[in-house]
Amino acid sequence: MAVDSMPPIIYAQLNYLLTHSPHSIKVEQMWSGSKNPGFLDRFTLAIPFCLDYIKWDVIYNAQFPLLAPDIIFGPEDESFRPYHAGGEGDLKPKNSLSDWNCKDPTKLLSLIHELRNLYMAYQKKRVGNVDDERLKFEINTIYSQEGIEMYMSSGFDKPEEVKFAVPLLEMDLNKMVAGSTWRHQQKIYLQVIYPVGRKFSAMSSAPRLKLVSTPELKSLFSIDDFRLPPWLEGMCMAEYLPNLEEILQSQIRDAISSIEVRRKFITALAIPFGRPLEADPVFCRKATFLACSGVFTFLVHFSLPLQFPRQQPALILQSSQHFHSPPGNAPIKSAILQDYPWSPRWDVAEMTERIFEYLMEECLNFKKYCNEVLLQQR
Amino acid sequence: MDDISVQKIQISGTTLASLIQRVSSSVGDVDGLLFGRVTHITPLTLSDDSSASASATTSDQSTLIATVTSFYSFTSTSTFYSPSGHLDTPTLNNLLSTSSSSDDRLIGWFSGRRKTHLRPSMRESSVTSALASNTQLSSQVQNSPKSHAFPPCIFFLLTTPFQDQLIHTHEYKAFQFQSSTDSFDPKTLDVVNLGPAFRGHYSDFTPKSPFPDLPFEVKGLNCESMVEDLGKKENEKFEKLCDQGLKIERLKNLMGSQASNYTAELEELYNSMLKKLNGLAKLVEQSSARVLEQENHNMKLRYKVAGFE
Repeated sequence: MAVDSMPPIIYAQLNYLLTHSPHSIKVEQMWSGSKNPGFLDRFTLAIPFCLDYIKWDVIYNAQFPLLAPDIIFGPEDESFRPYHAGGEGDLKPKNSLSDWNCKDPTKLLSLIHELRNLYMAYQKKRVGNVDDERLKFEINTIYSQEGIEMYMSSGFDKPEEVKFAVPLLEMDLNKMVAGSTWRHQQKIYLQVIYPVGRKFSAMSSAPRLKLVSTPELKSLFSIDDFRLPPWLEGMCMAEYLPNLEEILQSQIRDAISSIEVRRKFITALAIPFGRPLEADPVFCRKATFLACSGVFTFLVHFSLPLQFPRQQPALILQSSQHFHSPPGNAPIKSAILQDYPWSPRWDVAEMTERIFEYLMEECLNFKKYCNEVLLQQR
Repeated sequence: MDDISVQKIQISGTTLASLIQRVSSSVGDVDGLLFGRVTHITPLTLSDDSSASASATTSDQSTLIATVTSFYSFTSTSTFYSPSGHLDTPTLNNLLSTSSSSDDRLIGWFSGRRKTHLRPSMRESSVTSALASNTQLSSQVQNSPKSHAFPPCIFFLLTTPFQDQLIHTHEYKAFQFQSSTDSFDPKTLDVVNLGPAFRGHYSDFTPKSPFPDLPFEVKGLNCESMVEDLGKKENEKFEKLCDQGLKIERLKNLMGSQASNYTAELEELYNSMLKKLNGLAKLVEQSSARVLEQENHNMKLRYKVAGFE
């Protein structure tokens, strides 16, 4: 980020927003609104909302950096009026802008946070106004569930539909994984998209369902491998969710217990290979060992799939003595090795022993391959 | 309260040009107040084509046209409203009492911001909504058979395109804010110029350029130094002429046989007027330079406060 060209007061606020926000807000672009391009004083924020991003332009004035910023919402949200002024003499409720203090770096965060909450309420109201019997029913039945975000998408070239983002599982995933370094709260959501229908066919079609998780969760649990239970005819969300949550919960528990299985395997690898050079201590998905055959020394990279031990680890060999010619200079690596003898029914000691035996042979092929590459490079 | 919708917004070419110039010459973002009036116009429905006139009379019985005649701009934004968009009524009234001339009423405001989307921002919506719902600031619709109050609900938005390479250098849009629906209605902005094509407008558009109200005496306007090259004698003569006032009867003397004597007298009058104007221009130039100097100084101070140094 171009720090130099942003007024320090504004930069302090933006920086605080990016580092302290509970949602992972991103800056899309920054630019200057001055006559002579100088200080960057406006930027677009991409704010996660309802499993999508809303983009808001934050407009500061570099000439008057002490003034509070203004915000331009998306083109679809022209009727979103968070701080409605009303007539004279009306009560003027306090908000993040009315007691703006440019010297306080937390102000932008609290403004954006407050606006996001107001936006959530605004979308909820819009969805509530949709004239669709089934939607009205769904909203009333799931209202008690906390943290549901909804979004009414409409536009000239888009079909009218209502999106729900339903947070699943009340358990705190961050706490369940020992030693996790996740900065943001990991969550799994069910995205439910209802087309806003004509009344007569409303009860027939199932909504579009999709499971979405926070991106960092994929090192523990892959939602792509999860099969959603079928949506039976005439079902509603309140019926569907408990079943889904139950299945998901047991799978998450399995995923967490499989960390231990992988950890045991990596520990067992140390017997034939010696202590690992590097290993992923949190999810136990990766480990690297140093091995040698005669004078040929090489690294073995293990990457363990989530389905371990049903699926065998993928291996990559990397020579410590053979390098590609400049300008690359990278060490020569083998292809991914995945077709070696394997059975999930073996015990861990046998697994590691078999891999070690396999590699003692395979490394000769790899050595030959390395020498061939070197010959070609001459 | 029922909103009354204007059919279109008129602005003279010069006013629009000076508004655009104000926005494009400013260093940062600017805003300001728009003055003008709202007129009721009974549309001419006389037509040779009977079918067309029949439909026109039913749909367009009365038409309101908002005319922007002048604007008042501030050197910064957020002068008459709070950061959250609430009106600062005392400041606004103060501004209105000094900046508006007698005929023109406040009919709205404008905002100019570079490289932004051409749609009202959060604060602009709040300010416009507050202005539009303020009954004290309403003006009467002129020429109207019924008495209508028209709140200052006109909003002009001026921006520049995001890319510098584009052919056009500025964009603008005019809106009327409807309090009942809480929405911005885009309106066509009708630019009125002098010329044959605009003859029809002459009746409903009175162009004027009010001389800025100078509440205190301008030093040097009458002093000798200003009109250096004007001899003292001539100056006295000029003053004498001015004091006498050039009676309209005297213009009659320009006709007929005696005319030549008087042309000389008139030429002399014009001459001295030109010289006086020249001096005035010089004074304006000098004071603009000083204003600029002061503005630069202020900017430096602001930057210092904001922690640039």
